[in-house]
Amino acid sequence: MTVSDQIGSATPVRRRPFGLLLVATPVLLVAWLVIWPIISAVIQTVWVPTPDGGKTVSLASYSYFFSDGYSLSNLSMTLWTTGVCAILLLVVCLPIALYLRFSNSKIAAYVQGLAIFPMFVPSIILSFAFIRVLGPNGTADLLLNSVGLPKIRSPYLTPWGPVIGLVWDNIPLTVLILLSGLGNVSNQAVEAARDVGAGKIALLWHIILPRISNSILVAISFAVLGIFSAFTLPYILGPAAPEMMGPFMQRTFRELLQPNTAITQAVITFGFCIIFGLFYVRSVAKNRTP
Amino acid sequence: MAATLTKSRVDWTGIVFAVVLTIVIVVPLLVVGTWAFTNVWRYPSVIPQEFGLRFWNQTLARADVWSSISMSLTLSFTVTALSALICLPAAYAFARLDFPGKNILFFSFLAGHAFPKFGLLVAIAGIFLQLNLIGSFWGVVLIQLVGTLLFMIWIPVAAFQAVDRRMEEAARDVGASPLRVFWSITLPQAGPTIAAAILLSFVGTFYETEGAWLIGAPQVRTLPVLMISFINNQPVIQYGAVLSVLLWVPSFIALLFARKVVNSGSFARGFGG
Repeated sequence: MTVSDQIGSATPVRRRPFGLLLVATPVLLVAWLVIWPIISAVIQTVWVPTPDGGKTVSLASYSYFFSDGYSLSNLSMTLWTTGVCAILLLVVCLPIALYLRFSNSKIAAYVQGLAIFPMFVPSIILSFAFIRVLGPNGTADLLLNSVGLPKIRSPYLTPWGPVIGLVWDNIPLTVLILLSGLGNVSNQAVEAARDVGAGKIALLWHIILPRISNSILVAISFAVLGIFSAFTLPYILGPAAPEMMGPFMQRTFRELLQPNTAITQAVITFGFCIIFGLFYVRSVAKNRTP
Repeated sequence: MAATLTKSRVDWTGIVFAVVLTIVIVVPLLVVGTWAFTNVWRYPSVIPQEFGLRFWNQTLARADVWSSISMSLTLSFTVTALSALICLPAAYAFARLDFPGKNILFFSFLAGHAFPKFGLLVAIAGIFLQLNLIGSFWGVVLIQLVGTLLFMIWIPVAAFQAVDRRMEEAARDVGASPLRVFWSITLPQAGPTIAAAILLSFVGTFYETEGAWLIGAPQVRTLPVLMISFINNQPVIQYGAVLSVLLWVPSFIALLFARKVVNSGSFARGFGG
């Protein structure tokens, strides 16, 4: 049952404008602070002022972005980070979710608690912790030194810094979304496959993955939307140049004082993520059963 | 027999996951906690040379720490109160009343999550620039309010819909007024989930860094924003560590109270799972 059915069926048939009145303020806020800025950003970057005081349609700010080497290297670093994080998240979280779904042991509760725990750790504390553990002279170096091994080459301030931080940060929701999808895999289906001799790999490939493919795509979409324009972790843990789109936009807006250029960069991030955004909204709307 | 065998088998997979996750998740936070209670810790010693609270006194004596704590708390209380005020009646309306365009309006709250967040913040900042809201308290309040809308509507809607309607009808049948039914039947059932949504909203606002930094800095300096400058410019490691421990207090409270909501399937479904 879709949420539309749920909402429709759970309510009495009274049709009163009173409901509209109650929802008006948050809806207007969304219209003013989400929908309008997006439309306005597109208009502002395309409908530009001319020297004679008029306005004309121009894609100059976009052609500048796509011809500027630094902007392009920032974009490619963002795409690389997002892709690597999405793959790593799947590789890390799918086994955890599978274990949690099919295990009855007491350890599973501890594992689930740990997997969800990063949700309660703000990115800023994580960044600090990461520097203290993997940064120069951090805990990892201390431990290696104590057993006579050489220091690590710290990922701090390299492209791998944000990757590690972003994966850590996104583990809880990815595990929860995958686990929720695994709830749709019935024990009977798994037992039936086992009865006819399916091994673990066959079970995963033919029974489990087809049933959770939508959840996998939702988890990836959610991660991509969050990572593509992430700010705090790339700003603190990443290299100064090239930088990810989040710090790039912030610097362009606040330090270079070029709001129009920053807004162009924002619209470009929207463009790259639009498929994931649409898919995410469609899936949430379809699957949500309050 | 089979059950006994299964029970006695050691859960090696679970043990491996537990050990790896403990190292990856818990150890970095333990390191920060240790730094906060350390007076001297010089390389290459594996453990601190001297434990103590010296840096707590120094950190708490700083005026910028207190002003950012007070700013963070004021912002979080304002945003949470405003969002409860405007979202809870809306959530009740979505759960219980029927009105034109209900479904499309309900799903419109997803819009804020369908775009890359910082890109959206930059687009909003473009509008705030024209309205002179950059660097203002209310500019940050508005940005953070938008961030709370989805949670503060979707979770309470689910809570109101989960209330047993037959109990409400039974109370009405024996003559209870609508207000009395809401107070004695609806609220006790929906209340805990709504309280968790309010708590999550408070904690989310308390830790919100990107909007506060983009819209508010340097005039509006919250605790996370101060933390960024400590990480970037402060050579005394303990200041950042003490601030991290202070910053984590609301999250710890949320951890204690909101785990049930987070563990429930409805939370993951809210994200499309």
